Amino acid sequence: MLGFLLVVLLIPYLIAAYGLLFVKLRWGLRLFGAFIVATIALLTAMFLVEAYPIIARDGIAVFLEARWDPVRESYGVLQALVGTVLTSAVAMALAMPMAIGVAVTINEILPARLRGIFGSLVDLTATMPTVIFGLWGLFVLGPFLKDAVNSVSKSLVGDEVMTSPYTLFTAGVLLAIMITPYAAAVIREGYALVPKPVEEAIYAVGATKFEAALIKLRYVRNYILGGFFLALGRAMGETVAVAMVVGGNFSRFTTNIFESGITISSLIALQFPNAAAYQYMVPALFAGALLLTLFGLAINAVAIYIIQRGQI
Amino acid sequence: MTAERKAEDITAVRMVINWLGLGLFALLGVAAVVPLFFIIGDVYIKGIDAINSLGGLRHFLIELPPTPYDESGGIGPMLVGTLYMTALGALLGIAVGFPLGVYIGEMRKEKFANVARAGVNVLVEFPTIVIGLFVYAVMSLAKEDLNQYLLGPLSNAISPLGEWITWFIGPLDGFNAYAGAAALALIMIPYVALITASAYASIEQPLREAAYATAGREFNALFVVLRKAVSRAVLTAALLGTAKIAGETAPLLFTALGNLYYAPFTGPTAAVPLWVWYAAQTPYEVQIASAYGAAAVLLTIILIIFIVARIRG
Amino acid sequence: MAKVEFKDLRVSFGALPVITGVNLSIPDRSITALMGPSGSGKSTILRVLNRLIELYPEARVSGEVYLDGQNIFDMNVLELRRKVQMIFQIPNPIPNLSIFENVALGLKLNRLVRGRGELFERVKSALERAQLWDEVKDRLSAPAGKLSGGQQQRLCVARALAFEPEVLLADEPTANLDPENTAKVEALFLELKKEMTIVLVTHYPPQAARISDYAAFLYKGQIVEWGPTKDVFTKPTHELTEKYVTGRLY
Repeated sequence: MLGFLLVVLLIPYLIAAYGLLFVKLRWGLRLFGAFIVATIALLTAMFLVEAYPIIARDGIAVFLEARWDPVRESYGVLQALVGTVLTSAVAMALAMPMAIGVAVTINEILPARLRGIFGSLVDLTATMPTVIFGLWGLFVLGPFLKDAVNSVSKSLVGDEVMTSPYTLFTAGVLLAIMITPYAAAVIREGYALVPKPVEEAIYAVGATKFEAALIKLRYVRNYILGGFFLALGRAMGETVAVAMVVGGNFSRFTTNIFESGITISSLIALQFPNAAAYQYMVPALFAGALLLTLFGLAINAVAIYIIQRGQI
Repeated sequence: MTAERKAEDITAVRMVINWLGLGLFALLGVAAVVPLFFIIGDVYIKGIDAINSLGGLRHFLIELPPTPYDESGGIGPMLVGTLYMTALGALLGIAVGFPLGVYIGEMRKEKFANVARAGVNVLVEFPTIVIGLFVYAVMSLAKEDLNQYLLGPLSNAISPLGEWITWFIGPLDGFNAYAGAAALALIMIPYVALITASAYASIEQPLREAAYATAGREFNALFVVLRKAVSRAVLTAALLGTAKIAGETAPLLFTALGNLYYAPFTGPTAAVPLWVWYAAQTPYEVQIASAYGAAAVLLTIILIIFIVARIRG
Repeated sequence: MAKVEFKDLRVSFGALPVITGVNLSIPDRSITALMGPSGSGKSTILRVLNRLIELYPEARVSGEVYLDGQNIFDMNVLELRRKVQMIFQIPNPIPNLSIFENVALGLKLNRLVRGRGELFERVKSALERAQLWDEVKDRLSAPAGKLSGGQQQRLCVARALAFEPEVLLADEPTANLDPENTAKVEALFLELKKEMTIVLVTHYPPQAARISDYAAFLYKGQIVEWGPTKDVFTKPTHELTEKYVTGRLY
């Protein structure tokens, strides 16, 4: 009944909000604000409810153990949690230098005519459907990385380190390409806002362009931090591209990035189709979703706080 | 060594470091952009080839997807599904996102507006699979009662209009196009809201004061007079948001689910990104090829919207 | 030869000419004032002299400028800026850096000192000469953005003085200061001119009359008159000059 009421009341709510706009503008606007706040609250509540069965049965063990055994109805998402952390770490390590590089290139190196095109290319990368990244990762990047990494590792340690094209490392590299534009957009905006008087001061004391860029980057470090957290949130939440190249290793726990693994979001995407057949799998997946929600909330909140604090 | 020579040497070293450092930044910046070319190239080369081998473009856009043993096929149902869900989602996204953006942009002095703004900021790049799961959870909760008390009687009442209507309105399956559209809307709303908010925030004070002075009611000031000042930014947001949700896969996984046939929107519905996701992971050549073809079509749609937005904005 | 010589300097921003043929000699160890109404090009001349004009891509510069006989456009710009320092109209310390770091920045970048001890001494003496040391000596690591306007300007003076420059360019340095701080800066310039050449842009003729040795009157991108200050103010040869120094032209 509750769900029914939720859905049924939604339409009148929106109509009322719209109507109020014409009559009592401010209250109408407030209703829209309430809609968003209610959505987040409802989302968290529903996940708690859906995940409850497995938390009731196993307690927080579901978050602390690594196993995925549908037959024995025994689930733990630790391996997915570790996978999320590892792929995000690889992605951020590659993406942040590139994002800073984009900001400096656009603002200091490119002539004015090329800045717009370059910026549009970066923005286009952000608009690309993630499933297309996954497709390319599956058939092009994965095999390429396997060959490249293995030839490097063979000459360094005499061993082929990547046994499959689809590993946590592949997912990390693919993620890096996908999240760089998000960090780049924030850093680039901040960098362009460095006031002209400050720029004049930096050059007047005899800085080279490179030295000036470093000083400006220090000036916008709030934006760099903000971009970092924004990209991190994106990396942790990305689903389909990661699911297509990460290797689908659900049960074995690994910390080796050159092995196949799994992340929380890809675990949900890949296992959900099976889940209806089992009793506790759906709650386990919702428990993972709950974890992802908490991360998403925390990281985005930190990112926005940092960016706004720097602006004041 | 004289002081002059030493100073010259230091300067020379600094100039070398300057070139190396800037070169490194340029390399990193270019590295961020180069994969784009590889991806677009790969998708179009293999995709166009696939479309041709699967029966040509017209055929591809209308026909049903190939089974593992077919030699030709298309993405007809997927295109229809994507069009329908994206249109609905975008409509709802703008309809709710725009007033929401006005609220958090113009009424910043209110505490609640800041709470709402925080909420929007948090939702804007939220993991889309979580959004999809949320709609799934609400849908499963509401489905039975919804069908029993509302949609059942409603569809009985309007059935005299013709059978075609059952494709749009009727008792809902657990997986349906409207759930998909709802998930897409939830993704677009915060995006449109944020851009609207900053468009209103960047209106200069004199213009704003003039608008309020001449417009009489606040409603007129905000939505009629100032509309021109923000419409360009909001329209761009609408276009880019539509492109964004047209390409989304994860939120549709548990809401629309996907379909291999033309089917009513009250049941599982096909979508182009869903097909790419599914077909790319099968072991069958013909389906992988159709995945590339679908990707090429999807990419073209996105590129067109993106270029239109860039030109107008 | 004069310390600085401008020969037929022309500057335009895009299609807009700002300086239309300036010939000027700036003598050493003195204060030369550049006066003129707004938009006459005074600040632009200053920015040519330390080549800061190159930060404005729309600016086109032609003509020759000599520092001690050397064409400044043939010099390495880092070398030029070691010798020619600038103080701006609106104080512009780098706000997120500390007071100490602001003064030390140029010294460190250009490797002008060896070791922390020498760096500290140079920064301290620069701050002392700018009459800021006593006010900030206990909080050298506080961010520069927290200082008052007058203090920020003296910080910028210290930053320039740390170089022990040969030429000091001052772009309306007291325009935003109260009379007390203005007096301090003017007194400082009178001291400094014994060691360096000062080019002072001012839009306030009485200031030029007070402290400068030579004065040039700039009007719409051209030098109308220049010479020893006393002559320019008491026996001006051009009608425009006379109108300007008596306050009837702005």
